[in-house]
Amino acid sequence: MSAPSVLLVTRHAPYGASLARSALDAALAAAAFDRPPTLLFLGDGVLQLLPGQDASGIGTRSHRRVLDSLPLYGIDTLYVDSQALAGHDLTAADLPPGARPVDDAAIRALLAGHDHILGF
Amino acid sequence: MVLHTVNCPPSHPALGQCLRLLAPGDALLLLGDGVYAALAGSRAAAELAASGAALHVLDVDARAAGVLERLADGVSVCDDEGFVALTERYPRQQAWY
Repeated sequence: MSAPSVLLVTRHAPYGASLARSALDAALAAAAFDRPPTLLFLGDGVLQLLPGQDASGIGTRSHRRVLDSLPLYGIDTLYVDSQALAGHDLTAADLPPGARPVDDAAIRALLAGHDHILGF
Repeated sequence: MVLHTVNCPPSHPALGQCLRLLAPGDALLLLGDGVYAALAGSRAAAELAASGAALHVLDVDARAAGVLERLADGVSVCDDEGFVALTERYPRQQAWY
């Protein structure tokens, strides 16, 4: 039996609440057990991807920097809500390497196509 | 097929995201403040009906909110056991809050 696939859906901006950070912690924990999840950035979750973050002034780590380190942990499948990207005037050039913008039909296929969904 | 649970009020952007991604064959359960999207004649109820998803509302929350009295057509009322049954039928779940 192959390992169950996990889709991790992250829908919140990085610093206003702990949800985005918790999503990353969950992703890293799953990867540590050889279950690297697929990540889907939805709605305001795409704001986690803004380049040029410097969180030193608020006493935390740059969220984008942690995101950029995910391939080191075997997490290299990132999907991004293309409608939300456009809504915030972000483009594919702003995204970490390998992150793929997806439309609503593709997002529905991601939701239906994984064995488990973890929502943050 | 995905079970979507919604516990935010209709004006919350999470409901809009849910509506974008609901697919025919999915199920949706309204609970907490989410039950207001089942108000007959409301815009949210019309948009949910157009999604083609199976619509459910949690009985205690809908009753508490006064929504049970004016429930939109096509929305079925479910109790806690029904909620559990939904989670068995739809192993994939996405919570909108």
